Amino acid sequence: MCNFGELGAWLCAEGTWTGRYGLWNLLAEHLLLTVVSLLVAALIAIPLGMFIGHTGRGTFFVIGLGSLSRAIPTMGLLFALVLLLGVQFRELSVVLALALIALPPLIAGAYSGVTTITPGIRDSATAQGMTTRQLVRHVELPLASPSLIGGFRIAFIQVVSTVVLAPLVGLGGLGFGIIQGLALRNFAQVTVSAVVIIVITITGEQLIGLGQRLAEARLVAPKRLEKP
Amino acid sequence: MEWFIANASFIAGLTVTHLSISVGPIIVGAVLAILLARVIPRRLVNPTRTVLGAIYAIPSLALFVALPALIGTSYIGPTNVVIALTLYVITSMYFSARDAFGQVPLATLTTSRALGMNSRQLFVHVELPLAVPGLIAGLRVASASTISIATIGAVVGVRDLGYLFLDGFQRKIPEEIISGIVAVCVIALALDAGLWLVGRLMTPWRNAKVNRV
Repeated sequence: MCNFGELGAWLCAEGTWTGRYGLWNLLAEHLLLTVVSLLVAALIAIPLGMFIGHTGRGTFFVIGLGSLSRAIPTMGLLFALVLLLGVQFRELSVVLALALIALPPLIAGAYSGVTTITPGIRDSATAQGMTTRQLVRHVELPLASPSLIGGFRIAFIQVVSTVVLAPLVGLGGLGFGIIQGLALRNFAQVTVSAVVIIVITITGEQLIGLGQRLAEARLVAPKRLEKP
Repeated sequence: MEWFIANASFIAGLTVTHLSISVGPIIVGAVLAILLARVIPRRLVNPTRTVLGAIYAIPSLALFVALPALIGTSYIGPTNVVIALTLYVITSMYFSARDAFGQVPLATLTTSRALGMNSRQLFVHVELPLAVPGLIAGLRVASASTISIATIGAVVGVRDLGYLFLDGFQRKIPEEIISGIVAVCVIALALDAGLWLVGRLMTPWRNAKVNRV
């Protein structure tokens, strides 16, 4: 492995894998930032999106948010929040910025999941005597799940592409190798970091896509009826 | 606001660079996406979806700096950014282009055939005009995100509006970052409005319902 010139030399060098800025540590930080901010965003976005979809109140909000969010540069949002909240709270600011970035697609996914349910299904659930709580829990949530996961996929893509910029505000994550490598003109480090980021992102995206297909398949063709 | 006014000419310069690296990819990417949507046969639709979905997911900074190892360009500078933005436009517009052509009614196609149109005439005079609303909708999404993603090019040395974020952060001037965000949003929304107008002008029959009896 140590015979591939510059690239091999860097891969085998001390401090490439272990230590504060070793690849393992950066990978863990990268995944932690992504997962925590997605979870924070989901806790707000899924109830909100489902509420708007369920009641029909605030539809204009979802549509407006959707088109505005595409135009807002995520790098600017990240930098502005870190600077305005203070550099000493940068972990919090970065998670907040990433969660804000994840909100619009998650809300849109939850909203469209609920609104595209055939009205007859909801009516018959109500006619059977379901309370609003039961309707949301046992009818709307399962039927909205593919669209919800679709929203997660977009949110994941947006968040991961911004996590890569976290080293610019003093945090770690896999983008560190790109930023440091560019500054030091260590292009082996840049390339390896970029490849690791690409592999991690595509794996995550494909896994979420698989989850979405499974959720769809479960709704379309239930293989066996569950016992009551 | 004061900062913005004092630095208006500087921001104008950055805006010109910003537009010069993003408008090309939007146009070229859209044309390539339409071509791909037309030439890819039905049985290859699913593999194409997987590949394009994966490219779309790649973080832009990682793609900017991965391209040099693949195609031998320089690490710093606009070339990688332009190529990466074009790829993103293709990946985001391919799906809407496919849907747009898929929604052209079959009866219209068979009628045009029966009138003696050849494949080229059918495409230019029937399919393309009827697909315009869907194509414009896809292009609006692609152009807004392209304008926004182009800011990350500043990290690899392109002096576009993203430079305001890097510089404003280093010099601790929040107004500079906010000016950058507002400038990017204004350009994206202006382009969006422009595309909407183009879409309306290209489909006059959609606004002519009033005159019908």
